[in-house]
Amino acid sequence: MRIQLNGIEETIPKEMTIKALIEWAKEGDPHLIVEQNGKYIYPSAYDNHPVFENDTIEFINPNLGG
Amino acid sequence: MDERYVRQTILPEIGPQGQERLAHAGVLIAGTGGLGSVTALYLAAAGIGHIKIVDHDSLEPSNLNRQIIHSEAFLGQPKVISAADRMKALNPTIRVTPVRTRITSANIDALLDGVEIIVDGSDNYETRQVLNRASLRHGLPFVYAGVRGFDAMISSFVPGRTACFECIVTGGDAPVGRVSGIVGPAAGMAASFQAMETLKLILGIGKPLENRMVCISGLDMRIHCVNLNSNPQCKACGQISNPDKRL
Repeated sequence: MRIQLNGIEETIPKEMTIKALIEWAKEGDPHLIVEQNGKYIYPSAYDNHPVFENDTIEFINPNLGG
Repeated sequence: MDERYVRQTILPEIGPQGQERLAHAGVLIAGTGGLGSVTALYLAAAGIGHIKIVDHDSLEPSNLNRQIIHSEAFLGQPKVISAADRMKALNPTIRVTPVRTRITSANIDALLDGVEIIVDGSDNYETRQVLNRASLRHGLPFVYAGVRGFDAMISSFVPGRTACFECIVTGGDAPVGRVSGIVGPAAGMAASFQAMETLKLILGIGKPLENRMVCISGLDMRIHCVNLNSNPQCKACGQISNPDKRL
């Protein structure tokens, strides 16, 4: 299925959770912030939160420098 | 009214009353690095009555690509002395208190005496956690920013109204010894946003970045605003209602 990931259209396997999408995208940042269709997703929800066709998802790596 | 402020007091959102409000405000800037360098200058120039700057570091040559409040003449000296000198040169009408110390959970409460807003100029998770929890304990807004490489992010965390820093960013710091790269304008963009947020919060004008986080990718100049919401399982603000647990 197709989604918009960080502004780029991607084709991903069907029936993915946010956790699976993070693994698929090889995101290794433990502080990762996930936004799905304009809504912030809690890390505790990654395991069972589904990704749907045409979702717009942003992976945001928090910046901790100053 | 001092002529130096005329270009902001002619704004109806500020006016002479707003300027008076700024003159009576107290702000803590936690760090005088890439972020604090710029917020300190803008807030001093705007006429914030009392600015407390806190940093334990001394100035090194590698700071000078982005920490524009400092200058080569101050290499080796405490950053807070260098920053205070520049702020007073820019605006001698305000009070600047330089404090050379590392911010910890043991000293933050004393540092916040007379302060109404905490401006984040730190460079690590641990200090931000101390600032966030002090913000929650004292009910003070915490204007966060973080930078890395060409990127920046900014949000205003206001106790009782928004998610807190630890609702959104969990976990610890990167492994010690890893130095990440950064360009000066990334820190400058974030710090300018912070200075704007601080003025808005003091004056009660506009729409602060409450429950919103601006994320800027400098390389492709993509600016994205994330909508945030409190995490009911947050280890920091989730404890506010439990008086038995000290933050």
